[in-house]
Amino acid sequence: MLTKDLLRVSRAGGGYHPQFVGEAHRDLAAQVIGTYQGHVGESRADLESALTALERDAPDFKIVRGFGKLLDREATFETRAPLPPERARRAAFEAAEDVGVVTETDRERALSRAADRLATDPDEVEASLYADLEDRQVLTAVSARYDPETLCQQYDLSLAQTALFDATEVRIRSDDPKAVISAVKRLRLMYEIERTGESETEDRSGAQREVVVTGPTTLFRRTRRYGTRFARLLRSVAKSTEWRLEAAIDDDGTERTLSLTDTDISVPDHEPVTDVTFDSGVEADFATRFQSLDLDWNLVREPDPLASGAHVVIPDFAFDYCHADFRVYFEIMGFWTPEYVAKKLDRLAELEDVEMIVAVDETLGVGETDDVEALTESGAADAEIEARGHRAIPYSGTVRVKDVRETLRRYEDDLVATSVAALPDEMIPDADVTTIAAVAADYGVSEDAIEDQLFPEHEQVGRTLVRPAVLDELAAEIEAGMDLNTAEAILDERGIDDASAALARLGYRVEWEGLGGGTITQREGASR
Amino acid sequence: MPTRLRYEDGTIRIDGPVPDLAFVESDPRSQTGRAPAFRYADLLDALADAEIPYTDEVHYGTTLDIETAYELREYQQDALDSWRAAGDRGVLELPTGSGKTVIAIAAIAELGVPTLVVVPTIDLLEQWREELEREFDVPIGQLGGGTQRVEAITVSTYDSAYLRADELGDRFGFVVFDEVHHLGGQGYQEIARLLAAPARMGLTATFERPDGAHEAIADLVGSRVVQIEPEELAGEHLADYDIKRIEVALTADERERYDEHQGTFTDYLAQSNLQLRSGEDYRKLVMRSGTDPAAREALLAKQRAREVMMNADRKVEVLADLLDRHSEDRIIVFTAFTDLVYRLSERFLLPAITHETGAAERKEILRAFRNGSYSRIVTANVLDEGVDVPDANVAIVLSGSGSEREFTQRLGRILRPTADGSRALLYEVVTEETAEERVARRRR
Repeated sequence: MLTKDLLRVSRAGGGYHPQFVGEAHRDLAAQVIGTYQGHVGESRADLESALTALERDAPDFKIVRGFGKLLDREATFETRAPLPPERARRAAFEAAEDVGVVTETDRERALSRAADRLATDPDEVEASLYADLEDRQVLTAVSARYDPETLCQQYDLSLAQTALFDATEVRIRSDDPKAVISAVKRLRLMYEIERTGESETEDRSGAQREVVVTGPTTLFRRTRRYGTRFARLLRSVAKSTEWRLEAAIDDDGTERTLSLTDTDISVPDHEPVTDVTFDSGVEADFATRFQSLDLDWNLVREPDPLASGAHVVIPDFAFDYCHADFRVYFEIMGFWTPEYVAKKLDRLAELEDVEMIVAVDETLGVGETDDVEALTESGAADAEIEARGHRAIPYSGTVRVKDVRETLRRYEDDLVATSVAALPDEMIPDADVTTIAAVAADYGVSEDAIEDQLFPEHEQVGRTLVRPAVLDELAAEIEAGMDLNTAEAILDERGIDDASAALARLGYRVEWEGLGGGTITQREGASR
Repeated sequence: MPTRLRYEDGTIRIDGPVPDLAFVESDPRSQTGRAPAFRYADLLDALADAEIPYTDEVHYGTTLDIETAYELREYQQDALDSWRAAGDRGVLELPTGSGKTVIAIAAIAELGVPTLVVVPTIDLLEQWREELEREFDVPIGQLGGGTQRVEAITVSTYDSAYLRADELGDRFGFVVFDEVHHLGGQGYQEIARLLAAPARMGLTATFERPDGAHEAIADLVGSRVVQIEPEELAGEHLADYDIKRIEVALTADERERYDEHQGTFTDYLAQSNLQLRSGEDYRKLVMRSGTDPAAREALLAKQRAREVMMNADRKVEVLADLLDRHSEDRIIVFTAFTDLVYRLSERFLLPAITHETGAAERKEILRAFRNGSYSRIVTANVLDEGVDVPDANVAIVLSGSGSEREFTQRLGRILRPTADGSRALLYEVVTEETAEERVARRRR
């Protein structure tokens, strides 16, 4: 963070845009670093005047000051004096009190009295008097933390933090909402989860919800009191790979909006986490096994946070259906204590209206909870969860992918039914030859949804749809005794790659020769 | 479920039913009611009026068994009575040197609840803490000046209180704001908002602020319940004083440098068609200097011109004369410029106090001045407010910023009754024909 006087923002278009240096001022950063390094052994006042000289040629003196501010934290200044200055002062002031210093002669007399008392020379007393003043301290070392590039990065981060000093509220979207929420709590701020618009956006990774962060007293009046905490929050937010922060700025009474994203700033010395980390072995194990299957569902790790009354729930996973904009959340509940169970059940009961599957470890039952009244009669974990409107999968040791697959299947059936209902009664694809898969993709539904569909102008051959006219042409071109490769080439030309189904429809079979080729022969009983 | 009150980070969180009150909001984040902490007392009244049962978990600790040996003077007792009659709330406006601290101490003893005293400077912090330690037989906490220790009775700087108010707001039943006019600033107002303390007292010599912020203070601390002008107490309780004004000329060399810098500044104003009629105009110029190098150069020139004027060599000569003339007196020298403080300290070997002076050394110097080991002292503005420096009878002001309040309070410093009752003396040393002089003239 910088001091506010070093803030550089543009208010162009009514906005509030920090003037990031990016890579444009790397030379200037190098000059400032060089100035610090070149002044080791000299006083702070000398360093300051060298920096002031740099400011004159800089495009904006505040950039030099800002770089200096950051480097100051890496610099060590020390007092260099023959005597401890405070002791020299006390001796000198006491001697001066006795002498009653008015003239230069009085002064010399007092100094030599003080020197006598300290068993030293008057010159040493004089040289020590105020050697500990900030300006007179000596720069003894500058740590090598920054090179020009990282100094510019740190400057941009600090500048953005400084811009947040006047923020009254921030709204955050991040691919690591858990880290955001835990930083919000650590900083004694408060949050709400807000849905922003309909979930029709392409980006499914938490884009539909944002975390709105305010301070406790923001309820009563807009205040800049929490600005420095928002600034600290930014550091946590900026550590994730994809994020966006919007802040309401109270710019001396004018409301402005500050927008920051991962393209503006990053945290130097910090590698963004690219590999997904897991809270527990159970989760990691499940993710691996699920992804090895080729299902119509994409697994999303740590999806968007969900509102649950005054709290937030961030499920472990979400499943996004490939053929529709539909998301099912998935939480694996392990490590049970009665308190944990009670809390989880409360959260699930108050959860906003979303589809949720909960895997419950059946070896640790809810029967242990003291809060019996909150439970249904059965007391079984899965029943408790189903009683709160969610689907439960009991597990022991590991979550079986098959069980999850089956539960998802139930959604699929519904989805298929819904999408079938939305499809036309008859389908007439334009192409002479197409596939079920291609038609399903065109309509944005699963293949299951159109399998039982009527195709009045096409015949279904395996998973391929072919107009009868095309089949007639093929029947004329392909004949018994033909080499398999030749037949496949003819089919391929018409866009049919499922040769065996097509040949079977035309009444042929393949007589295999070794591993590669074969010959087309008339199938027995088939008439031409 | 009965209504339940809890303190949460500068607010009162209200679970359960609440009467419909203007200051209670419904909070969607916690799904409870919530009120600003400073409405705590009002909230309790409202719940009682509406006969709503409640549990109050806003505890600020046990009562204290403390007493004071101070005998209040009649006007001090009257002031305390008026404050109590106003429901233990309100501002006392009394001249510097009238014993405001004593009234506050008597109030702390009467209420006997954990108390926070908020003061503007490190010097006042030390002074209050020592006074409270002398008076009450309990440990005294301190927030500021390098120490962060909370006790049932704690003294804090405004800055520390601002930083920690939301965390400590339920620890005290009574809060005293010394030099309460500071509370007018937007930031500092938050201190009073975040504290739950029902009893509140403000102390000041100059309550009204030109920006009207004293009205906000009245909302947070209570209205002014007592106002006594310095004239009402002068002679009887405060020392009389005289003012002498000494004008010095710049040397030829200084004049040349001053004109050069001042010229750069006025040239810029002329070229850019700017006029400086108010503080607002000046602020605009400062803002412009952030982006316009010429404006920045002009401001720097203005600053250098001021430095030439403030540092005028002849002022140092005048000071030598005054130190010589008052060799038997106790003298405080003021100047706004830190650099000048150190120049004078090195030249005359005067003990110096500025913002750079460490807490221990500052304390040592003040103690030595109080007990007579030192008879002279030079300071920057850090002693501006209410610091108790007894028996100083000569003040020499080498530069002034022209603010009305600053000036009266500096005067206030030497308005202490001295042992022999002799008249105090204030010298104002200014440079001829400068902006500074016009400021001085405007005051009279």
